[in-house]
Amino acid sequence: MIIKRIYKSSWFVKVVFVVSLFAIIFIAGLGYKHITNLSKSTEMVIHTYKVNVELEQILSYLKDSETGQRGYIITQDSLYLKPFIEGRKKVNNSFAELKYLTSDNPEQQKNLKELSSLIDKRLDNLEIASNYAANDQTDLTRFKDVFQEGKNYMGAIRNKLNYMISIENDLLKKRKEEYVSDARFTPVFLYSLILLTLVLMYAAYAKINSNLEKLKKSNQQLEIFKESTNQSEIINKHGSWRWNVEEDSFYFSDNLFRLLGEEPGSFAQTIENFMKFVHPEDVEKLSSQVDEMKENKDLPFIVYRVIHKSGDTRYLKAYGKSTVNSEGITQLLGTTTDITDEIDHYNTLEKRNQELELNNKELQAFNYVASHDLQEPLRKIQTFLSRLEDREQDNFSESGKKYVERINNAASRMRLLIDDLLQYSRTNKSDEILKNSDINKLLEDAQQDLAEVIVAKNATITTVKIPEMKVIPFQIQQLFGNLIGNSLKYSAKDRNPIIAISYDKVEASDDQQLSKALYDEYHRITISDNGIGFEQEYAEKIFTLFNRLHNKDEYSGTGIGLSICKKIVDNHSGFIFAKGEPNIGAVFSIYLPLV
Amino acid sequence: MATDYTHIILADDDEDDRMFFTDAFDELKMTVKVTTYNDGVYLMDYLNQEDAILPNILFLDLNMPRKSGMECLKEIKENSRFKDVVIAIYSTSASEEDIENTFIKGANIYIKKPSDFKVLKKVLSNVVTTNWQYHTNGLNKDNFLLRL
Amino acid sequence: MKLFIKFDFNTVCNTVLKEQLDALDLKYEILNFGEVAFLEKVPDHKHDEFTKALEPYGIEIVEDHKSILVQKMKDTIIDMVYNSDTEVHVKSSVYLSEKLGHSYGYLSNLFSEVTYTSVENFIILQKIEYTKRLIINENKSLTEIAFQLNYSSVAHLSTQFKNTTGITPSAFQRIIAKRREENN
Repeated sequence: MIIKRIYKSSWFVKVVFVVSLFAIIFIAGLGYKHITNLSKSTEMVIHTYKVNVELEQILSYLKDSETGQRGYIITQDSLYLKPFIEGRKKVNNSFAELKYLTSDNPEQQKNLKELSSLIDKRLDNLEIASNYAANDQTDLTRFKDVFQEGKNYMGAIRNKLNYMISIENDLLKKRKEEYVSDARFTPVFLYSLILLTLVLMYAAYAKINSNLEKLKKSNQQLEIFKESTNQSEIINKHGSWRWNVEEDSFYFSDNLFRLLGEEPGSFAQTIENFMKFVHPEDVEKLSSQVDEMKENKDLPFIVYRVIHKSGDTRYLKAYGKSTVNSEGITQLLGTTTDITDEIDHYNTLEKRNQELELNNKELQAFNYVASHDLQEPLRKIQTFLSRLEDREQDNFSESGKKYVERINNAASRMRLLIDDLLQYSRTNKSDEILKNSDINKLLEDAQQDLAEVIVAKNATITTVKIPEMKVIPFQIQQLFGNLIGNSLKYSAKDRNPIIAISYDKVEASDDQQLSKALYDEYHRITISDNGIGFEQEYAEKIFTLFNRLHNKDEYSGTGIGLSICKKIVDNHSGFIFAKGEPNIGAVFSIYLPLV
Repeated sequence: MATDYTHIILADDDEDDRMFFTDAFDELKMTVKVTTYNDGVYLMDYLNQEDAILPNILFLDLNMPRKSGMECLKEIKENSRFKDVVIAIYSTSASEEDIENTFIKGANIYIKKPSDFKVLKKVLSNVVTTNWQYHTNGLNKDNFLLRL
Repeated sequence: MKLFIKFDFNTVCNTVLKEQLDALDLKYEILNFGEVAFLEKVPDHKHDEFTKALEPYGIEIVEDHKSILVQKMKDTIIDMVYNSDTEVHVKSSVYLSEKLGHSYGYLSNLFSEVTYTSVENFIILQKIEYTKRLIINENKSLTEIAFQLNYSSVAHLSTQFKNTTGITPSAFQRIIAKRREENN
């Protein structure tokens, strides 16, 4: 795992290169050292040979001197003395050379010193013997002794020389061995080092290769992404642009050209060229915005118009945001969208809204007419009727009295209808605000409104604690008032009304009546009574406007009360359901969304 | 007799309603003094005269041309000279909001014009007597609210 | 020489009354035909002072027995309503006739004759007045008030309140609260 991670990390390649570099430097150093050693060894061999040659030469010079002396002794010819004299000079030269060659070897120096004294003694001996020969005293015992002594010196010199040569040879042998072991070990080490370097280099190469592969892939993806961006720009009618504020250079995406009604790249990407398309009335606004953008480097949404060469006017919306790229250059990235369709849509919607509002206003005006202007003449008719009944009663015939009574009834009914219709149309949502309200208080207020009937009918009303809800208080009070009023009105004649109000919370998913619910949870308030009830088949019908289950002679009413309840509950995005059983009672369930 | 000198003013632009109003008091045999004005402007012109005799009870129709009952109410409440005048709104409409609003703005009485003359007589008599009760029994006039 | 003076008897009397009443710092209203209505209870010593002050002008306070008795009834009723907790179990009619030493029938007739309203109505009016005060000033719930004023139930008090004023207690409370809000 760790190895894998190291391999993957980007500094792996760098590390490999550094390591390889060091390895190569190391190899070069080692090679250099090896070659230096090699040449040193050669030098040593030459050195040894040189020493040996000089030593041999000394011996040969001595022999020459000896031979010359012997010749002189035998012949008494002074010609033989020449090599003897030259031999001494040559021996001295060789000595100087040897002294220089063995300057690094104290043992050989010591040997050389001993050799030098031996040679001196031999040469002296040769001179003495020569002197004897010159005086013709060769038959003297002393001459014989001297001659013998010379022979001995010569033996000692030969021994010394051989010893010195053997020392040099031993040295040579030792150095040779050193060199051979050196030469054997170095190539193995170098070879393995080169192999290791190669492995590392290969790993680095593989890594670079795989990176390259990845780069290629992401390049491809980028290419695809770019293409899809292009597509999406075309489909969504937006273009993008970059603005390098410092260099004042622009880049427009292909579709930005299209948004201006032009072919991509058909004009130089400058702000001046862009401005040529902007609607004359918007140029000033946009220019000032652009100037501001230069300073704040953040462009709020701006909507402006452009005119295509074809003469089309389009609405564009632009947004820009300043960013700093990887090279530390500040640039503004922006998108521009063609919102002409949205604006058209919005305008249509706005127009419809205005129409609707107008309709609503007309409806409200109608309501006012109904509430005031229609009520007034009706009220006067009724008042005059009451005066007629009061003062002119005696002047009417029997049928006249009956007609007046009928007119009165009709007028009363009309009043009831107008009042209820008004209440229904007043139950609007538009200008009412939902606010957190104490439902218990609204329920209590509704009961206070009905206090008289409650007392008169000797009704018992039980309530429970209900939590606060977000409602239109006045409407909810009316809702309770209408439902409790309904229960009181349709109470059974043989028993005192008992009305129970209960509350619980329900999940929309747990109640199949709430299959069309928009919210997850609902408050449920149920109002159940022991009144005359109704057939379940009418459970939905009772909420429709003007729908009545009873003849108006039996129970007064216009069939609007429960429609108002339905409307109020609708206003609150809730539901109301009724359940009835004839002569047992009715249950009304109100569901209000829990928000 | 206590109610003899109760001074009453009605401002209403509807001729029939003014007639019903005066007729009702006539029939009630209460010797109250009833004056009527045809709209809010006439009414305020009268009340703003320095030597005007202020009514005990002022009946205001809400929906009047030129100056509505609500505007009159506002002007009257802003002038401390009229602080002792009991104000009764006398209107056709009876939306709960209208009613509460006029009470909040300082009206004492709200009367929905009845559609029965007998009821009208009863209502007016009730207003005058209740007002008298407040007047003579030291009741807190700030709490005087009556809806009929 | 002779001067002929024309004067209005009413204006003279009213001016004198006004001066004397103002001097005593009383809240009042002068009604025509020799009636003065007091807007608050007049203490006995001020009543005496007022009587004495009027003597030099030949003005005399006509204190008829009936109106004194009615005033006493009113005082008793108000006392009964406002201190309801001490007089829990006695019926108002019994209480009145015991306290004032007259039959309830007599008192009731007398009351209606003088005040143009029935004793029962007057009691209700006072109770509702007290209820209003409790709602506004002491912020009491209707249940507490109903208990304090010996109503059999909240609904009963609610009904009576609505019958008397035309509005429900909670609407009353709301209106007064909003009115105060507006005035501030």
